[in-house]
Amino acid sequence: MNRNLLRRASSSTTVAVALGVAATVLAPCLAAPPKAAKKAQSQQQRQRAGLPAAVTADPPSTIMEVAAVDRSRRSAVHQAAAQIDSLLASSWKAHGVEASVPLKDEQFLRRIYLDLGGRIPTYEEATRFLASKAETKRADLIDNLLESPDYVSHFYNYWADILRLLERPQKTLFFESYLWYVKDSIRTNKPFDGWAHEMLTADGRVWDNPAVGFQLRDAGMPLPYVDNTVRVLLGTQIGCAQCHDHPFDDWTQHQFYELAAFTSGTQMRGRGKNKNMMSRQMGQEGARELIQEAKQKLDRSTAFVQFVAANTTAVSFSEAPLKLPHDYQYEDTEPLAVVSPKVLWGEIPSGARDANGREQFASWVISRDNRQFARTIANRMWKKVMGVGLVEPVDDFQPGNPPSNPELLEHLTDEMLRLDFDLREFVRILVSTGTYQRRAVVYDPASGTPFRFAGPALRRMTAEQIWDSILTLVARNAWAVQRPTATEVAAAANLDLANPSFDAAYGMFERFTQKYTPPRRMRELQQTVGYRGQLLVRASEMPAPLPLGHFLRQFGQSDRETIEGARTVATVPQILTMFNGQITHSMLEKGSVIYDTVVAHTPQEAIDVIFLSVLSHKPSGEDRKLARDEITTADTPAAGYGNLIWALLNTREFIFIQ
Amino acid sequence: MIGTMGISSVDRLLSRRALCGHLARTALGVTVLDTLVGSAVGRAAPAAPVGDVSVIFLMMRGAMSHLDTFDPKPGREEQGETKAIQTKTPGVLFGEHVPKLAGMSDRLAVIRAMTTETGAHEQGTYLMRTSYSQLNSIVHPSMGSWTLHVQGKRSHDLPGYVLVGNGNEHPGAGFLDASLTPVPVADPKLGLENTTRPAYLSEKQFRRRLVLADRIDRDFKQLYGGPQIAAYDQMYKDATRLLGSVDLESFDISKEPEAIRSRYGDTTFGQGCLLARRLVEAGVRCVEVELGKWDMHQDIFEALPNNVGTLDTGMAALLDDLTERGLLKNTLVVLATEFGRTPEINKNAGRDHHPAVFSCVLAGAGIKGGVVHGASDERGFHPDRDGVTVADFNTTIAVAAGLPHQKEFSAPNGRPFKIGGGGSPIANVLV
Repeated sequence: MNRNLLRRASSSTTVAVALGVAATVLAPCLAAPPKAAKKAQSQQQRQRAGLPAAVTADPPSTIMEVAAVDRSRRSAVHQAAAQIDSLLASSWKAHGVEASVPLKDEQFLRRIYLDLGGRIPTYEEATRFLASKAETKRADLIDNLLESPDYVSHFYNYWADILRLLERPQKTLFFESYLWYVKDSIRTNKPFDGWAHEMLTADGRVWDNPAVGFQLRDAGMPLPYVDNTVRVLLGTQIGCAQCHDHPFDDWTQHQFYELAAFTSGTQMRGRGKNKNMMSRQMGQEGARELIQEAKQKLDRSTAFVQFVAANTTAVSFSEAPLKLPHDYQYEDTEPLAVVSPKVLWGEIPSGARDANGREQFASWVISRDNRQFARTIANRMWKKVMGVGLVEPVDDFQPGNPPSNPELLEHLTDEMLRLDFDLREFVRILVSTGTYQRRAVVYDPASGTPFRFAGPALRRMTAEQIWDSILTLVARNAWAVQRPTATEVAAAANLDLANPSFDAAYGMFERFTQKYTPPRRMRELQQTVGYRGQLLVRASEMPAPLPLGHFLRQFGQSDRETIEGARTVATVPQILTMFNGQITHSMLEKGSVIYDTVVAHTPQEAIDVIFLSVLSHKPSGEDRKLARDEITTADTPAAGYGNLIWALLNTREFIFIQ
Repeated sequence: MIGTMGISSVDRLLSRRALCGHLARTALGVTVLDTLVGSAVGRAAPAAPVGDVSVIFLMMRGAMSHLDTFDPKPGREEQGETKAIQTKTPGVLFGEHVPKLAGMSDRLAVIRAMTTETGAHEQGTYLMRTSYSQLNSIVHPSMGSWTLHVQGKRSHDLPGYVLVGNGNEHPGAGFLDASLTPVPVADPKLGLENTTRPAYLSEKQFRRRLVLADRIDRDFKQLYGGPQIAAYDQMYKDATRLLGSVDLESFDISKEPEAIRSRYGDTTFGQGCLLARRLVEAGVRCVEVELGKWDMHQDIFEALPNNVGTLDTGMAALLDDLTERGLLKNTLVVLATEFGRTPEINKNAGRDHHPAVFSCVLAGAGIKGGVVHGASDERGFHPDRDGVTVADFNTTIAVAAGLPHQKEFSAPNGRPFKIGGGGSPIANVLV
């Protein structure tokens, strides 16, 4: 190509840094003499380091072993899907709703990658699927995605929002192991009832039994714990009844306390950094010795004391009575009276009647006779796939908030029970329905009319989906870093309190802090996967909460303090980030997936490659002409490619799932 | 340096004010008149303030303890470790960690008998911001969005409403137009990020890209047009307008002299207050600044000095700075929180949620200083007299800000709403 372009490329101080100019390097690679191109490139490398090597490398052959999907059940899946479709069809008929049009392959492709894998498909994945003539190609893709690391990553993000997953929910709670445990429960596709039971009844320290994280998340707040648990697992809000009888609902303050009485004997030793608390409750000589020594030897002992305290934090259970509050105002009982445990509805399953209170509570929650448990998770998964719950919000089941399609909801509840709480199989059925595979429908909840599922609801991608999709355009290896395993963390953090040695403990503390304390870990990771202050790894592998200004937070990732705190609302800073942010720039660095893909094709193919990479479909005739005009009339053709990629990224089509 | 800055920005402001004030009067004449006439019947209504009011809303998230700040109960067991100190107002005591605000109590109206029913953060914060209880079916607009809806933006390029903090839990514009959504600023020290076009990208090329994106997007938009897409279209417009604006500088607090910056305290909240002042000065109508970490269920007396100190330094500097610049008479400063904390200290040396009574503070435009309105009982447990609901409080804000608090607005679902939630303004604290 022309000299002018090369001069421009090599004289620019920000060559290949950002979109437009990166494309000016891109162009010489396509057409210019290799020698000159090389020169421009080496200059670019001198000027600044580009994408980290770990990210441009091939991904590891095994990222993680995910539980296999049973292909032999496929016809059962399709039968189950057809049943759901027929229920919806009668609902459409009854409400005069016209079904949305079936999805074209390219729309299905993009949606299924986003809904199951949390990211858009790569150019290769897109072309392979679109070229396939196999009759079962959709079902094949569904099954492949359901057993991919992408599925684990995406559903981790989903649960992280519900379970409020943080590395350090309190100063003495070190949650790496628990966060890994959640991810691993998804990886192994643990049946949901068993998983919930495990978390509700776990004992021990987080190093030994990471499932205790669920109870520890509300450490020191036994009443909010009950409120949150019922909200998440039973889709019911009894929180108001903690202070007074529920204004609209049936719940009384007395009932709240009756339920809380089951778990009031849950102990969390060593919690809190208050000195009196420590000496009173910890009861562990070893820890006390270490702390005393630390106070003598260290100028600033707080972080070390917290590390020791984290080691003494353990969940256990021994029955303890619960009293009504001193300001209890209702006439049925006196303030401060002891309440006997009683469930909100139904009864304790016979097998658990002799067990302790916490076990009784857990058994009741997950019991097959407690349909509300199955109903809640069925409705959650329905919303995850279709965009809107049959009951909305998903945690507010109550007589005043009836389901939009009760028959369907009960059918889905039956299905959940039939599948023995195999959530992934349940999702497999939902995405196999004809309804799911229809074009998205615009729905405004403020309209006051229930959604009838003529197709799934149009949704903006979640923050994590946007991040992971952009990463797909950038990183050949998006898995260069994964969150640490429970074993790894336990080895690094588990103090020997039976034989306390200050020097050994302090050494361990320092090594642990260096490697795992979130800000330090972020800094460490910059070395391997950092690009201009951003970590180029999957959203699921990053610590939480991220700083408020981080891309993921800008696009609405939760602070993980409130249940389902994530949002998909438009704001100005999001747009500014799409315009000028580092991550937008990263994709036109040499070695990025889209850069390399475009370079590997001829200029004639480049437009299709760019459309397929960013929007997962070929351009329409008109769009191809627009793109060609852009490239031929831009300052340079290369700048034109840059402009095109930038433009596609800044469409509504990119961030909404149609 | 200070002088030059001050003069030039005041100049700019004055000319802008004159223009916008005129526009606002013509456009709003009718509504304002309606309000006056409507409220003249019945009880004597406080006059709407003259001039064009800005609002700075300081939101204490997590529930600020009233006993340890603006409503101490010295001598009571409930008071715990926080001592009470004298304020500039004879007979009025504050907690020891707000000495600066105590020294300017003559500019503050303290409301000590705030009362609400919800003890859950999310619902409480929502109520405080919108004046309405959270519903499943509809999102109510926050007070700032109402203000913009009625009074319009003051600056062409700058947003009308900025939130220094976390946008996720903010109701934003609710059912009103997406253009009334606050622009969130995550870190006041960084201001609005990503506002610089790369050096190689000319204005012309940037426009080209936008046009191209728009053309390629047309089929998609046609198929899926609706409120979600419209909101994004609006944000693209706002972001584009902002990028080319000279007013962007008002988001950059590094332009402030060091002496001013340090006065506000080296905290996100303090610097957020400074940013709020800068933005209001440049023509932003509403700014909300959040301060979190108030949810002190454990070891409250270890945590208080730091957080209360941050509040004291930031808010006091803001009030002083606004006073010195002559802006306080046109700027309403609100200190609010979702509820209070229990007088009883729990077994973890903390205080729990307490909606029955708590304190909020008003200052500036339309507000009488040196006033304490209402009182809690001797333990700080219930209102003792003059209880103030969130709707009363927000209606008072509406009056001070010159908003038509008695006018009925309709939501898309046909329900009627009033700015402030239809409460009674507190005449006692209004000028």
